[in-house]
Amino acid sequence: MAVVSTRAGRLGNRLAVAAVIVITLIFLSPIYWITSTAFKPLLLSTTVPPTIVFEPQITPFVKLFTKRAQLTGPVDQATYDAAPWWEKLVLDGGERLSRDGSGEVVFSAYPDRFVNSLIIAISSTLLAVSMGTITAYGFSRFRVKGEADLLFFILSTRMLPPIVVAIPMFLMYRAVGLNDTHLGLIILYTAFNVSFAVWLMKGFIDEIPKEYEEAALVDGYTRMQAFYKIVLPEAAAGIAATAVFCFITAWNEYAFALILTNRRAQTAPPFIPSQIGTGLQDWTVIAAGTVLFLLPVAIFTFLLRNHLLRGMSFGAIRK
Amino acid sequence: MMTTLDPRSRAATRGWSDITIRNLFVIPTVAFLIIFNVFPLLYSLGFSFTDFKASSKNPAHFVGLKNYIDILADPVIWRTFSTTLWYVIVSVAGQFVVGFGLALLLNRPIPGKGLLTTLLMLPMMLSPVVVGLFWKLIYDPSWGILNYALGLGKTAWLTDPKLALYAVAITDIWMWSPFVMLLSLAGLSAVPKHLYEAASIDRAGRLYTFFRITLPLVAPILLIAVIFRTMEAFKTFDIAFVMTGQPAAELISSRLYKMAFQQWQTGPSSALAYIILIMVLCITNIYVKYLNKAKER
Amino acid sequence: MRTATKGLLAGVSLLLASSTTVLAQELTILWAEWDPANYLQELVNEYPGAKVTVETVPWPDFQTKAFTEFNAQGSAYDLVVGDSQWLGAGSTQGHYVDLTDFVAANNLTTAMAPATMKYYSEYPGGSGKYWAVPLEGDALGWAYRKDLFENPDEMAAFKAKYGYDLGVPQTWQQLLDTAEFFTRPDQNLYGAAIYTMNAGDAIVMGVENSVFAYGGSFGDYASYKVTGQLNSDKSVKALEDYRKLFTYNPPGWGNAFFVETNTAFAQGQAAMAMNYFAFFPSLVNEATNPFAKSTGYFANPKGPNGDDFAALGGQGISIVSYSQNQEEAKKFLEWFIKPETQKRWAELGGYTCDAKLLESAEFRNATPFNEAFYQTMFKVRDFWALPEYAELLTEAADTFYPYVVDGQGTAKETLDKLAATWVDTLKSAGYAAE
Repeated sequence: MAVVSTRAGRLGNRLAVAAVIVITLIFLSPIYWITSTAFKPLLLSTTVPPTIVFEPQITPFVKLFTKRAQLTGPVDQATYDAAPWWEKLVLDGGERLSRDGSGEVVFSAYPDRFVNSLIIAISSTLLAVSMGTITAYGFSRFRVKGEADLLFFILSTRMLPPIVVAIPMFLMYRAVGLNDTHLGLIILYTAFNVSFAVWLMKGFIDEIPKEYEEAALVDGYTRMQAFYKIVLPEAAAGIAATAVFCFITAWNEYAFALILTNRRAQTAPPFIPSQIGTGLQDWTVIAAGTVLFLLPVAIFTFLLRNHLLRGMSFGAIRK
Repeated sequence: MMTTLDPRSRAATRGWSDITIRNLFVIPTVAFLIIFNVFPLLYSLGFSFTDFKASSKNPAHFVGLKNYIDILADPVIWRTFSTTLWYVIVSVAGQFVVGFGLALLLNRPIPGKGLLTTLLMLPMMLSPVVVGLFWKLIYDPSWGILNYALGLGKTAWLTDPKLALYAVAITDIWMWSPFVMLLSLAGLSAVPKHLYEAASIDRAGRLYTFFRITLPLVAPILLIAVIFRTMEAFKTFDIAFVMTGQPAAELISSRLYKMAFQQWQTGPSSALAYIILIMVLCITNIYVKYLNKAKER
Repeated sequence: MRTATKGLLAGVSLLLASSTTVLAQELTILWAEWDPANYLQELVNEYPGAKVTVETVPWPDFQTKAFTEFNAQGSAYDLVVGDSQWLGAGSTQGHYVDLTDFVAANNLTTAMAPATMKYYSEYPGGSGKYWAVPLEGDALGWAYRKDLFENPDEMAAFKAKYGYDLGVPQTWQQLLDTAEFFTRPDQNLYGAAIYTMNAGDAIVMGVENSVFAYGGSFGDYASYKVTGQLNSDKSVKALEDYRKLFTYNPPGWGNAFFVETNTAFAQGQAAMAMNYFAFFPSLVNEATNPFAKSTGYFANPKGPNGDDFAALGGQGISIVSYSQNQEEAKKFLEWFIKPETQKRWAELGGYTCDAKLLESAEFRNATPFNEAFYQTMFKVRDFWALPEYAELLTEAADTFYPYVVDGQGTAKETLDKLAATWVDTLKSAGYAAE
């Protein structure tokens, strides 16, 4: 609601702020739980009752980045002393680091998958938002034959459960050689997100009065210039929101990443939940992987926060 | 507000014509979507009329509508459908209440609003599988923090037939309310301030302002949010599958997955997918009609 | 400029040429994501031939991913470490290479433990056709808290209540008694932690353990007779007792698989826990199980009629018939079955199936559970290995769950219903089932 400058209004304002802070704390408590799990020794993650106070350690993060195996016997003291501090953490946890033929520590797939996720999510978001915005503008400002049907078709591409198209998609990709490629997933996520982008951007662009562009055209701008200089800035909030949602969708997609890719182009989501070692779900490593994986999205959204909240400004022209 | 611009206006004759721009903007996307989706859609549609199993070398035999009839006659499927429908209603309503409520609270100048908004969006930024796994831990009667923190003893959230569905719905609401919240915030900030000023000058009450001014103007964005959340809720798979196997909480996507990838019944599962598609199409159609009505002010 | 482009093209083509030659000496093995896959990767790093990479998929998605690739006749994987139940699908649908000659040439039927060849490699049963080399032997076993069992006060109380000494259960009745004895909710201690997850391998394998021990069966795999076998009186009694055992589990125990049973045990909630032997290393490890030093292991107890069986797990490695490197893959398998390699495999943590190694005192004392594992491998029975096994598995899980976890209906009704469902499924797959 609009802010009214009366004493009752200010009190209402303060109550609202207090309520928001309380709600935020409660709402985010599971996130806190996940983050704290990322710093626990494995045994403390499933105690009865749950452990809230503990001494944090970064062993889970070391484990996240390395391939490990269970220790089959006690560690020889000399080997233990010679190991670097991060390896000692792993040894204390009952595991040893895998080493390859030349004695080097083997990294887990996590760093590669993380990079793949970045490449694929950023590219597909750029594509989806661009295509979505221009198509939304087209539908919004111009008369398109069969517009309602086309828009509904675009919407319907997101209605089928992904499971069902997994096999034909797999076959299709194999036939054109897009299996296990970054490009393959980029195209897929773009197709997946563009329908949402079109609908959301159309919702925002429809709200921008056409009088602005007409005024610009009268002033001598071309249609394209009007699009760039007037519509896009006004729709910044919409573009930001669309970008954030498209990025999140591409970032966290699991099913197709699993089926359509193998070790070259696979993203992080299929990797993170699968940390089971020998018979105990390593909650701490899963939590560590999740926390790190959350950072790029959170940072991206935080950087866009002003655009997201800017809303639409209504300038000189009134309806 | 779907009025079009006069293509014959003076400036439109310079630069690219409106028709060119329109075609350039619209056709590539539509073509892309058609090309990309046509093969999978036809493939699965085709198989829905056969008895094909992707795991056997037997060729597919045309069986007409048999798969559809079998599925529609199966009481287990109907039970799963009604469970899913109820789940969608509870989950989307919950997301709406929480998301829109948060947006209403946040729609004022608050210090650190940007930070707060980003923080509130964190649940949405997690991978659904991870959300399912950790909420499974949180809900656990013995190791979970929920029972402990709220003093609920040993309530078996995910295995009690009466509670399991709501447990999954709560997780879903937690995860996706930020989506509704963000879109609501965008919609709310689009309401012109001068309308509120005019209303307060006319001594309009809070509720009146809300229902007559705020809500109608926010409605288009809200409906888009609800449309997409409904579609996604029908497709809910990851969190439900990971968290519980309780039949009382089985969603149609889980059944579809079991049919398609555990029993490899490619034909019947394709038929089920299309039945789901038709259902979602009908429901969405209703929403879209509302959306169009809401836009005509 | 032109010479630079020529140089670039030359460089690129050289790269392509060299990469194709490198590819010819690469093998890819597909397995599930767990520690044994890491051990296998360490093992194959020592292979003197081609470069071998172990690719992994999370367990819940392993079957999906593998069969999607096979059904599309893809060549992304040269070898696959498939579940024993995949043998039917793998062989009849032409995904696996026939290894009968390989087995004969290398005397694998004597070199590997007989049970492992029978269940991880031979299909159809008794046909003499082999499709895999046993890689990871596994079966269901039990862990128990020695400190509780050997506590004098507990022993006295138990003897007073049940009339015999507290000890490792030798029969299922003893197992039930012991579980009942240790179920003390106010102390947060429960008798047992068993498999209950409504997923293919979990609850069905748990029930299998009891059904086999009671002398019941899941059907005659050779004649496809289900009715009268699956729902025989013995099977019904077994299922009833599994449900009874369920009541001695921690609260809300309706979604448990190997992770949960181990966790309950390690957190001191369960006096006994059921699990595949492959998952016991984390119970031996003090860092993951505070009770490691006082954890004992035993094989599945006998049933009331003296039948002595346990449910089988484990995997064998097969050559994918769509692979483009089958010769190289065969050479790899020849290296793998060598006694030195099998010994190294066991050292790293793999569950070798080599007969001599299994029988050696060295192996049986290597870990606290190896003895129980050794005993179990001689009394294992498996689920259906037909191509349609996944359907039967899913139907079984869906049918058992409401009875075992929610207590709906009776054991007889449950098994009758499942028998009817299975007969339908088998018939529509073309088998003469009844």
